[in-house]
Amino acid sequence: MEVDIAGKLSFRGGVYPPEKKSLTRDSEIQAGPAVEQVAVMLSQHTGAVCRPLVRSGNLVQAGQKIGDSDAFVSAPVHSPITGKVKEIALRSHPVLGRSLAVIIDAYQYSPTRQPRFELPADFDENHYLPERICESIRQAGIVGMGGAGFPTRVKIEPNPQMPKEIMIVNGCECEPYITCDYRLMLERTGQIIAGIKLARRASGCSRVFVGIEDNKPEAIEAISAALSRSPNSDSIRVVPVKTKYPQGGERQLVKAILNRNVPTGGIPPMIGVVVLNVATAAAIAEAVLADLPLTHRVVTVTGEAIAKPGNYNVAIGASVGQLIEFCGGVTKKSAKVILGGPMMGIAIADLETPITKTTNAITVLTKEQIGTAKFARRQTPCIRCGRCLAACPENLSPTKIAHAVKNNLLDVAESYYINACTECGCCSYVCPAKIELTGYIKTGKIFLARQKKMVPQ
Amino acid sequence: MLRDITVSPAPHISEPISTRRVMIDVIIALIPAMVAAGYFFRLYAAILIGTCVLCSMTTEWLCNLIRKKPNSLDDFSAIVSGIILALSLPPALPVWAAVIGSCFAISVGKMVFGGLGANIFNPAMVGRAFLTVSFGMLMTGWTVPATIDRAMSKVAPENVVDARTQATPLAWSKMAIKDKNGAQIYSRRQFRATVTGEVGGCLGETSVIALLAGGLYLIVRRTISFHIPLAVLLSAFVFAAIAYLANRDAYVQPFFHLSSGGLLIGAFFIATDPVTAPLTTKGRWIFGVGIGTMTMLIRIAGEYPEGVMYAVLLMNGVRPLIDRFCKRVPAGGKPSA
Repeated sequence: MEVDIAGKLSFRGGVYPPEKKSLTRDSEIQAGPAVEQVAVMLSQHTGAVCRPLVRSGNLVQAGQKIGDSDAFVSAPVHSPITGKVKEIALRSHPVLGRSLAVIIDAYQYSPTRQPRFELPADFDENHYLPERICESIRQAGIVGMGGAGFPTRVKIEPNPQMPKEIMIVNGCECEPYITCDYRLMLERTGQIIAGIKLARRASGCSRVFVGIEDNKPEAIEAISAALSRSPNSDSIRVVPVKTKYPQGGERQLVKAILNRNVPTGGIPPMIGVVVLNVATAAAIAEAVLADLPLTHRVVTVTGEAIAKPGNYNVAIGASVGQLIEFCGGVTKKSAKVILGGPMMGIAIADLETPITKTTNAITVLTKEQIGTAKFARRQTPCIRCGRCLAACPENLSPTKIAHAVKNNLLDVAESYYINACTECGCCSYVCPAKIELTGYIKTGKIFLARQKKMVPQ
Repeated sequence: MLRDITVSPAPHISEPISTRRVMIDVIIALIPAMVAAGYFFRLYAAILIGTCVLCSMTTEWLCNLIRKKPNSLDDFSAIVSGIILALSLPPALPVWAAVIGSCFAISVGKMVFGGLGANIFNPAMVGRAFLTVSFGMLMTGWTVPATIDRAMSKVAPENVVDARTQATPLAWSKMAIKDKNGAQIYSRRQFRATVTGEVGGCLGETSVIALLAGGLYLIVRRTISFHIPLAVLLSAFVFAAIAYLANRDAYVQPFFHLSSGGLLIGAFFIATDPVTAPLTTKGRWIFGVGIGTMTMLIRIAGEYPEGVMYAVLLMNGVRPLIDRFCKRVPAGGKPSA
């Protein structure tokens, strides 16, 4: 299959931050640290928090389910190691503040590695029933690994109210620094394609597009070449898209590839589209073909302050501190530890924070770098230059929303569609007055949600 | 191990741009117009620009001092206001008038609203309007460029009265409406003079080349969006063309209107002041068309030969309404709930 590499498809708005992917783009996926202790969060996804299935003192096997929920929108969690449950205790959670986690001490200090997965040569997705695929995905605890962590089963299971026709596989990886999806596309190409086919079969989609930013020509070529060799792949097309942040946002990707807008406040299935991350597709293949639960994921450890940046296959539950130590620690000038990339990632204060299913990167920035960030410099008044409006991929008016929040006018913020914000950070990135627009908007959304909760229905 | 970890909301990186950089861009874009002003009006240009910039900065500094606010001179916006005010003044305006104008522009035009970003009206235009209503005679003394009147450069600002003055091109066109001889006014030579700037007029508005160069620089640098200038010029052109086609005797050619008076400096530098212009693209079109139409209305049907200043101020006044009218709709449509 011939692919035109230059991606012209895109969305309106967006920004062009320095890519910084060269730090880790040539670093093959290596085994992560051998962990003595893990803290597996009981909430690693959108939806109901799991209830622990083990108690302190219990022995657990690697891959054993240790938390689950009866709720529809939820996903179980598993132990990545063989060991003994120490306790169920609170740990720092990147989004929820403090949250319950199952703390497990590795047994005999014999670290368990994730079992190697080999794609069977005679793989044919038609040997698997759609229901069986969905159930395997559910049991393996697979959630969207790109960021939001929406349970994958819920996403791809056929729903008569929202019939799905098109699947978009997201290989954009538009955040600066991060290269874990890129490495997966190069190193586990066959596995990703197998996952795509299984998800296609389970969801009943007739067409599949694999969206990849055109700054990753090797990945575009690798996937295209593998598809041309693979049977039943006529309906799967690789679509190079323009390299622009936030091209990997699912709303932006749907717009770029299909030229359709996901309704505000809605999700892609409402217009018959399923969006899956490439890492999720790879996890689906492991879950369905080898019954391997999601206990490890590839994490890019990067940033100018990291001694040995690279891509590592890490046990979910390992702490950020352990991983940073494993990568040779940090240089003295380091100043900020970010879970994720520099545009949307969350800066953490506690290095005990465990890696979760949605942690795609740890970026450690230096003092000089954060010296140029918004908060470090004096904020000046908004001059209404309109850069934030031009950069907003959702066509909002960030300055209006942010100033409404600042002045505690939540109804005004709502009239400017504050809840349509995807928090991509473009507005803050371009603001010449150094205003933390995204920060204000996030705060406003939280205030609004609280306010709504207080009003009796 | 890690110590002193900083925590803040995302994004953690930002574009290397600041308000000061935006203002510096505007100042760079105004350099051609300032050079042209210096070439045509010699010492007057230097004195007026210097006075206005200095007084604007002093006023801002004093206002902040009185309001017990941090000094805000480092955003360079006072310099921009000072230059634009100077460039929109008649060359031979006495220095004391320029001092009054700049102090009024910054104090009443900007600082009483709360400083940069809070003002409703363009400060430079507020200052100019104040001077126009206070010292009408001084504000309409159009000195002949030094390149025509060799003696001009010797005339010191103190004895302006001695300088040779001349009606501006717009004043001729105004007379033409009364005398019904519009066709004779507009000659190729006249047009060339307005393009280079060798005509009577405000300091910085005469040279079309200089203004276009600066304006294009701002658009290329994305300091301003092209919508407002295009809307102003296009609507003014259409208005003038309709008038011209309706009565060729009374009204001059539309190109004449574009190249003379303050339309170009207004379109590229004054109407585009982000603080006093609408935020959305749709709003900017409306704003620009409003200024272009209003200017031509004043020029053709009004009492004054020139109308850019009043057009800008009027549209500044309705700007909040335009913003309210032109709210952006999210990419995914209005939420259904």
